[in-house]
Order: sequence, then structure tokens, then C-alpha cells
Amino acid sequence: MKRPVVIPAALLFAVVLILAMVDLAPPALDLRPLVAANLASSGVAHPVTAVLLNYRAYDTLLEIGVLLLALVAILAVSESVPTTSSTSATSSDLLLPMLGRIAAPVMVVVAVYLLSAGTSAPGGAFQAGAVLAAAAVLLHLTGLLPGWRQPGVSLRWGLAGGFLLFVGVGAILLLVEGDLLRYPPDHAGVLIFLIESGLTLSLGLILAGLFLFLSHDKGDVG
Amino acid sequence: MTDPLVWLILLPLTWASLAFPSGPGRGAWLAIAALGVQLMLVLLLVVDVTESGILVRAVGGWGAPLGIDLAADGLSVAMLLLTQVIALPLAIYARSYFSATAPEGKYFWPLCGFLLAGLNGLYLSADLFNLYVTLELVGLAAVGLVAAGGGARQIAAALRYLFAMLLGSGAYLLAVALIYAAYGTVSMKTLAPLITAEAPVVIWLAGGLMLAGLMLKTALFPFHFWLPPAHGGASAPVSALLSALVVKASFYLLLRLWLGPFAGLTAGAGLLGWLPATLGALAILWGSCQAIRAQRIKMLIAYSTVAQLGYLFLIFPLLTGEAALRAGIMQAFAHGLAKAAMFMTAGVLIKATGQDRVDSLAGAAQQLPLTMFAFGLAGVTLTGLPPSAGFLAKWQLIEAAMAQGAWIIAVVVLVGGLLAAGYVFRVLRQGFLLVPATSADTSVFHPLPRTLEWMALLLAAASVLLGLRGVELMELVSLGGAV
Repeated sequence: MKRPVVIPAALLFAVVLILAMVDLAPPALDLRPLVAANLASSGVAHPVTAVLLNYRAYDTLLEIGVLLLALVAILAVSESVPTTSSTSATSSDLLLPMLGRIAAPVMVVVAVYLLSAGTSAPGGAFQAGAVLAAAAVLLHLTGLLPGWRQPGVSLRWGLAGGFLLFVGVGAILLLVEGDLLRYPPDHAGVLIFLIESGLTLSLGLILAGLFLFLSHDKGDVG
Repeated sequence: MTDPLVWLILLPLTWASLAFPSGPGRGAWLAIAALGVQLMLVLLLVVDVTESGILVRAVGGWGAPLGIDLAADGLSVAMLLLTQVIALPLAIYARSYFSATAPEGKYFWPLCGFLLAGLNGLYLSADLFNLYVTLELVGLAAVGLVAAGGGARQIAAALRYLFAMLLGSGAYLLAVALIYAAYGTVSMKTLAPLITAEAPVVIWLAGGLMLAGLMLKTALFPFHFWLPPAHGGASAPVSALLSALVVKASFYLLLRLWLGPFAGLTAGAGLLGWLPATLGALAILWGSCQAIRAQRIKMLIAYSTVAQLGYLFLIFPLLTGEAALRAGIMQAFAHGLAKAAMFMTAGVLIKATGQDRVDSLAGAAQQLPLTMFAFGLAGVTLTGLPPSAGFLAKWQLIEAAMAQGAWIIAVVVLVGGLLAAGYVFRVLRQGFLLVPATSADTSVFHPLPRTLEWMALLLAAASVLLGLRGVELMELVSLGGAV
């Protein structure tokens, strides 16, 4: 019943959207010169990193909060889902675990590179954390790392640590400099690198957790 | 602690992310202490805004359009006040409500903290993209709270809620992208003079998307489908939080956009305001009728929320005058306080009787007089009897409607009040007038911590007594505001 209405409506919306986009004038305001002009005092050399961790660092702060929140929500739900007894994956395949053992250390090195490259080239905490998480998922899929149950104390601090560090730096800057996340230009680079390092670790754990907490009861698939 | 404005966002973020590593079920006392501080901060902010009008803070020291601005005017401070005033008693209630081992309480404190941080951030943000991030914080935390520790049916309700939230935020985000494509900025202050009645089609499209997305998030009829199962199925403190506060956030944002950056469009199209108003009127009628028919007490209260949200949208055609805005905020306060109290009393009744049917409440007034009294007081506000805040809100609304000749709105308000009396008295009749079928039934009431009853009564009494001090609140709303 619904389909004959929804499909034409969606098509009509798409056509109107495209037509409206086509005759769009160039934007009234161009922020790029402004981004470039303040780059020197932002503490980093790459404009994207400057936007993410300095100009609009508050957005990034809240987005890390959203990721942590997503993980907490998953933990809250999986609390009530009955879990079967889990044995870590044992693969009869010899090649797969070996490839996992080779790839994971390389991925950690790549993550560290991405983190340090972020100041001057595309990269940074999000990318580095994603590679770390991918390494953890790879280890899990090759049977080397069991799925995660309810997290222990150290894992919980690891998950929340990056965000707490970010909030802490923001709060200290609010007290010292008078504005939330207002970096003094001389120390901006160091502070941003500190925040990004913490975020890399926590984001790696959070993103890995989004996968591993959900897969702990299916560990014996093999 | 020099700047209450920014700390209102940082503080809940901090206690939320500290509660998580402290362990499942931990963090209640930290949250209650922090919420006490937040309440003081918001009172300081009220003083600040009263003295110096609109307050603006440039995060990172950059300022819009390069950075993000936070701004507080009378409207946002009023919403912040509502949030903290409800959150503190609710947190004290929740600490007693969740036993140490209850699965639904294990992650309540971190989720609740993120929710409140998102709400405070939303009321203070002056940046369209930043508002999207706060919407995500609020939505995701709310979904997590609904799903936490529940059975299959509750998780299904949470999933439906999640899809509705994602669709709403998705529409909002698409609109933000269109606005950025057209003007190159997402700062509300910069946008306000740029968006005029001659705006390109794409801006009308963006406005429509925002309107639809936020109506979906506020559960305006006919987008209310997700609300009753989500609010009716969650545990009582969560239902109170969602019904009293969360749905108000998207309403506030719609109002803010309507009066702020989109004022150039909405002022020119006078008939546009009748769209939300018509849906609001239908929400009042449909929600009330469903509440009158509901079998389970929490579903009754949830459908009452659908109806009460309708009043908020009746103000849109009348927004040319200030009285309508004041009526809308007064209604948000009245409903927020009363509905939080009502869900809290429902939690007490369900815990005490072990049942959630309206029919099972016979004799409740003898066993739990405080709770039934609190329910009655909250009902007085929802029905709009004097001297409650609900009466003041409806009075203002009718006055604003008559001043502009929109008598149909006045009729809807009056009919809505009668219908509300219908479902409120259904519960009161069961609790006060009917005696249990057998004397053995009275023994099934389980003893409960008195804190639960007192906190519900506190909020219910506040919803009535606010009617006596409503003038101060209404003056606050107009300070340095968009109108």
C-alpha cells in the first residue's frame, strides 16, 4: 500500500533537490581565507586538523562524547541480552592467524604514523583510532583475540580516558585563558598533540568495542 | 567557576564520563552533587542575563563564523532552568528507584549525564552544525536509556525510537548542508540577516526539512508513533526524563530557528504557522482520546504527552506577538514539571502493586496517599485548573489567540482541557473512590522508600505553585530574545 506513495514522493523530492542545487549561487561567505589566515596561530599546519581541533574543537569534543555514548548504550543493551557461554574462536586454519600476527603490528605502526602526520597532512586521531580498531577486529576475526564481555576497570578507564583528557584540557584552558578550548598560540601544537594521542587510544578502544562487545557471545563461530 | 554558561555543559560531560569508569550502577552521588551545582549555576546565569541581556561566548576565542559561538538569552536560560529544576529531584528519585543490581540501572548515570549535557549544550548553542551534534547526543542517550536492561519489547520500542531519531537528525543535517552550500556559514547570527523572503528555493527546502525533522523528533501528530511505546515502556525515571525534557529540546530548536535565522521566511508566509498549529490541534484531540482509552497507566501518561505537546505548536500562528511565546514556554514548564511528577508517581504505583494496569489502582489512596495526592496535583496542572502553571499557560494562549481573532485555537484549548480531565479523573477515580475487590488485595502493596513519593510530590507541587510566580518566568523569557 505504502510503496506507490513513497517512491514517487522520494523521486519528486530528489528532482526538486537537484534542481534547487543546480541554480545555487556561490556562497555568500568563503571561510577558506579565514582558515588560512589563522593557521599560523592554530598550532598545526594542516587546515583540516586546524578546523577539527582548534577552530571547531568544541564540535569534535561533543562528537567524541557521542562515540563514547554509543558504546555505553550498547553495553546497556547487551546487559539484558542473554549470552551463551563463549569460547574464544579456534580456527583450524593456520594461515589466517599467521597473517593476523603479521598485519596487526604493522597496523599499530601505521596508526602512530597517521597520528603524527595529522599536524601537517591528512590524518589525525580519528584515522589512527580507526586503524587501531581495525587491527583489534582483525585479531578477533583470526581467532587471536576473544570477544569482549562487560569491561573491567582498566578497559573502562581506557575507553573514557581520551574524552576525559579532552574535557580536562578544555576546562583548564577555560580557567586559564578565559574561553573553553582557547589554546595559547605558543602551546597550541603541544596541547593538540596531547589531546590527539589520548583520543587515538580511546577511539581505537571505543571503535573496537562497538564490534567486540557485540560479538562476544558468537565467539565460537568457526 | 567564573562562567556559569560554559560550566553548564562541561560539568554534566565530566560526571557522565566519570560515572562510566567507576563501574555499573555507580555515580549516583556524584551526579546528585553535580546537579546541585548545576542548579546554582543556572540561577547565577538567570541573574547574569537579567542584568546584562544576551550573553555570548566564543569557544576557542575565535568567534563566529570561524569558530563556534555559545549564546544565552531569556528563552535559552528558561529552558536551562526547567532542565536543571527537573533533573535534580529526578536524580534523587532515580537513586532510590534503581536497586544496586537492577540491570536497567547499570548504565543509567553515564547515559543520563550525556543526555543532560546534550540538552544544556543544545539550549546554549548558536551554531547550526553544533546543534546537530547536541541533537545526536540527546537522541542517542535517550535511545540507550529506553533500551537499557529491557526485554525484547522494550528493545523493539527503542529501535523504532532510534530510527525516528535518525530520520529526524538526518533531515536536519541535510538542511544544514544545504544552508552551508548557499551561504558558506552555519552561524545563526551570521545567517539571520542573509536569509530573507527572496532566499533561493534551496533555503525553503532546508527550512522544510528542518521543520519536518524537528516535528518528528518532538513527536507531533502524526509523527507521534514512536513516542507511546518508548515512553510507556521505559523505566519510570527514564520515562520522566524523556517526556518532561527530551521532547522539549526539539521544540525549543524549532522555535529558535523559526524566530531566529528563518524569521525572514516565516514572517513573510503568515499561513505557514497554521501547519504546526493544525497538527498540534489534532495531537491534542487524538492523544487525549487515546489516553482516555489506555489500559496501562504508563501508556495513559505517554498518550497524555502526545496531547500536551500539541499545545506547544498552537503558538506558531500567533508568534507575531510576544504573548504566544510566553504561553508556549509556560506550557513547556507546566507540562515538564507535571509530567515528570506523573511518571514518577506511576513508577511508585507500579513498584508498589507490581502491576501497571489502571484497573489495579483501586485502594491506592489509602496505601499511598502522598503518591495519589502528587498524581492529583500533576493532573490539576495538565487539566489547566487555576492556580496551576497549566492554567496560566492556557489562559495566556487563549488571550493571545483572541487578540488575533484566532478563536479556533481558544476552542481547541478548552476542549483539550476537558479531555485531559477525562483521563486524569479516570486514574483518580480508581485510586480514591474504588475499594479493592477483596480485603486481601490491600496487603499486596509493597513498602517503598519515602524518597520516591516525596520527590514526585515536590515536582507536582512545583507545577501548581509556579502558576503563582509565573510573571517572573514570563519576564525572563522576553530578555534579550529573538522576539
